[in-house]
Amino acid sequence: MNTRLIASWLIGAPAAVVGLGLVIQLAALADPSLYFAWGYYFEVFVGGLLQGVMYSLVALGFVLIFKASSTFNFAQGSMVLFAALTMVGFIEWGLHWTIAFALTMGVMVLLAMAIERVVLRPLVNQPHITLFMATIGIFYFLDGFGQTLWGSDVKSLDIGMPRTPVIVLENVFDGGIMINQFDLVAALVGGALVLGLAVFFQKTRIGRALRAVADDHQAALSVGIPLKTIWVVVWTVAGIVALVAGVMWGGKMGVQFTLALIALKALPVLILGGLTSIPGAIVGGLIIGAGEQVAEIFLGHFIGSAIQDWFAYVLAMLVLLVRPQGLFGEKIIERV
Amino acid sequence: MSEILADPLPLDGDAPEAARVFDEVLLSVDNITLTFGGVTALSNIGFDIRKGEIRAIIGPNGAGKTSMLNVINGFYHPQQGKITFKGEERRRMRPHNAAKQGIARTFQNVALFKGMTTLDNVMTGRLLKMKTNMFWQAIYWGPNQREEIKHREFCEHIIDFLEIQAIRKTPVGRLPYGMQKRVELARALAMEPELLLLDEPMAGMNIEEKEDMSRFILDVNDQFGTTIALIEHDMSVVMDLSDRVVVLDYGRKLADGTPAAVSRDQKVIDAYLGVGH
Amino acid sequence: MLYREAGQFKSSYASDQAIFPIRQDKIGIALILVVALLVVPFVASNYVLNSILVPFLVFSTAAIGLNIVTGYCGQVSLGTGGFMACGAFFAFKLTTAFPDIHIILIFLLAGFGTALVGIVFGLPSLRIKGFYLAIATLAAQFFLIWMFTQNPWWTNYNPAGVITAPPRALFGDFYITGVRATPVGKYLFLVCFVTILALVAKNLVRSALGRAWMAIRDMDIAAEIMGIRPMMAKLSAFAVSSFFIGISGALWAFIYTASVEALAFEVTRSFQVLFMIIIGGLGSILGSFLGAAFIVLLPILLNSAPAMVGIRMSTELLTHLEFMIFGALIVFFLIVEPQGLARLWQIGKEKLRRWPFPY
Repeated sequence: MNTRLIASWLIGAPAAVVGLGLVIQLAALADPSLYFAWGYYFEVFVGGLLQGVMYSLVALGFVLIFKASSTFNFAQGSMVLFAALTMVGFIEWGLHWTIAFALTMGVMVLLAMAIERVVLRPLVNQPHITLFMATIGIFYFLDGFGQTLWGSDVKSLDIGMPRTPVIVLENVFDGGIMINQFDLVAALVGGALVLGLAVFFQKTRIGRALRAVADDHQAALSVGIPLKTIWVVVWTVAGIVALVAGVMWGGKMGVQFTLALIALKALPVLILGGLTSIPGAIVGGLIIGAGEQVAEIFLGHFIGSAIQDWFAYVLAMLVLLVRPQGLFGEKIIERV
Repeated sequence: MSEILADPLPLDGDAPEAARVFDEVLLSVDNITLTFGGVTALSNIGFDIRKGEIRAIIGPNGAGKTSMLNVINGFYHPQQGKITFKGEERRRMRPHNAAKQGIARTFQNVALFKGMTTLDNVMTGRLLKMKTNMFWQAIYWGPNQREEIKHREFCEHIIDFLEIQAIRKTPVGRLPYGMQKRVELARALAMEPELLLLDEPMAGMNIEEKEDMSRFILDVNDQFGTTIALIEHDMSVVMDLSDRVVVLDYGRKLADGTPAAVSRDQKVIDAYLGVGH
Repeated sequence: MLYREAGQFKSSYASDQAIFPIRQDKIGIALILVVALLVVPFVASNYVLNSILVPFLVFSTAAIGLNIVTGYCGQVSLGTGGFMACGAFFAFKLTTAFPDIHIILIFLLAGFGTALVGIVFGLPSLRIKGFYLAIATLAAQFFLIWMFTQNPWWTNYNPAGVITAPPRALFGDFYITGVRATPVGKYLFLVCFVTILALVAKNLVRSALGRAWMAIRDMDIAAEIMGIRPMMAKLSAFAVSSFFIGISGALWAFIYTASVEALAFEVTRSFQVLFMIIIGGLGSILGSFLGAAFIVLLPILLNSAPAMVGIRMSTELLTHLEFMIFGALIVFFLIVEPQGLARLWQIGKEKLRRWPFPY
């Protein structure tokens, strides 16, 4: 990422936000039944952004695995569910949440090793789409496995994160902007995780090896990169990201089957940001999160509610029509 | 069978190919410049290909030979310059338009349809000539079957010609490399092209396979009258097969002429052997 | 010894290009059809007809459809459920608005309508490939289901959002939908209808269009250089595929379940059909049938197996186990035989030809 790109985002993004607000205000003028106030708009927007960070957390797991093995890991969502279920299970045994967290990390390592051994190793050098479908298999397996082990009741997961909403900027907007503290903490944790991962990928030897593996399995093997280890490492990291996402999401909406489906929310984030880009996953998450909330409230007023179900996908699809590699993805040059 | 534009001059191994004279220009490229970002792949290239000849494009690795073929069949769009094919200047076009105009091609790394049989691969070469609509295809019997059989017959001729009858029903993914190259040639021939572009048809072959392939190329040129442009690294093959040679280096044209003239050209010798040796 | 083609010489290209060039296969398929039409209706119980054979035939149609776009043309689609819903709701709206139109025509029209929708949602395939496309097709899935649940117009303002198939006869008193339809009648109709559809699909994939699809699937750049227009090939694959899937959705709503809500075509349905073609065999019409049979039968076996050996399990646990086994099987098939049951069948045939010799 170069500075010019960052600068254009720093200027462009706020401009787009304000512009969108103006458009909605115009719409509200035309149709008085649509309620619009700047304070309300920003509240919706910020709520969406924080929600978006949560999407990014899930999307991050996808990006990690995609970077290292060019595999689109459809099972990331069920890994989130599985991790959260396991952690709740440990807590129910009477363990403190920190110990449960550590134990679950151990379980995720075992899981990564198992996946590498049983699924990835036999499928080395298969077409990417085969691996993709294999991960759909893992998705179903993990879904069933987690619930077989720990049951399918809705469980609450509380690690003592604050839940009271705070109100900020009261002097700027009428009534201020209400922000959910839980989301704020989640966003901070997510941010820290991203930073850590970025350093891990860019600065460490293992990160470089990961990128080599992503390029070409055989070539990486032939220069002596231990494919097995790399895969275990990357799936472990993805597992830990899934665990963090599971703790956050599970804390927010309870640990239950639907947790696996938030992966479906992360997919448009992913293709919007570009499959290979960690910053892309973040920015994509923010755009989708905010866009979705704003659309639900203001656009939904005109075309019907529950457009959250598909809005993110349509938004992502439109972006893809203009930039097939996503916002931050690497440009694909075709060769013969 | 296709219209056979039999060459009146029988090709006989001893007669020098310079004996063949070609006047009619089939394709000409002028001032082609192609860049990717900041990298210049081709700069100001111009040459022509005349009807009925075998034209070789040679040059060290990275000289821009494959890019040149990609430009000719519409896969890359040059930033500057024009291409004239059969007297018509071509504007920006997609590869399928080039195919429609009669340009076929084989690839450096075999680009066959791996999941399909040899026969089906060759039959794809006839797709442009198959006209029955989707409705009749869904019924199959009737016009569609008649058409299928007609084109099957044509493809069987090509299969006989290239001696690949035994692997007709084999999925091409299972064939050895040399055979795949041959199937690829068959597929291109099935299009009845006027201009056939061969990108390193003999790469990675042993001497017997090269001899077979050279024979096929000469036979194609001789029997079907197909104009051929080929890229090849093996100089002895180039010298024996081609009527005229164009030499590229670092995206520039170094020389253009008969094999004998080109091989004496000092710039060519320098490019291949390095200056100062 | 029984299965050997020695001595069967083909003297014309037509006989060499037949769907079943070997005599034993011809006899086999004729036998299957005879049994399906003349024996099964008399011996099968209503349970077998309603819960196994009818859904099997409906799913086979959907699987053929998805196989065309994914197996033959290589464009992974996760929008199957949405397209099935299109077929179901289009057929419902058409037949309630025009009760006089013959039901077969209604099914076909629903199919054509879905084909148009398929073309629209196939447009991204011109720009994007692989995973990106797979995810973009989810847009179709979610958008279409949302449209059918949000708009009461689609259900003729049914308060529960359910469409119920009105009674329609194939001819005279032979009802195939509604309360007066018998399981045998439904089954017989489906056998004939799906056989014809499968034949159409087979004809398409062995003609020029099918070769264009496969060429795009195997190597799109080379295909374009052969003169295949990627846009035409991909969009026609999406259209034909959606046509079949739309019909299967209409059959699902009208014949299999008789009344249905949009949520029956959720994203899990898309995955279910995708599994059928993976397990059955990508790029194989036969595989679509095998995969559909497998996926329809597996839950039934799983449900009855524990009871047979005397273990009692909660239905919840069974569902989870079913998930696990499904997942494991998918992975298993991809590793052992990426080309699915159809390929195993082919290998079996080749072995049989040589039997009793090992080579």
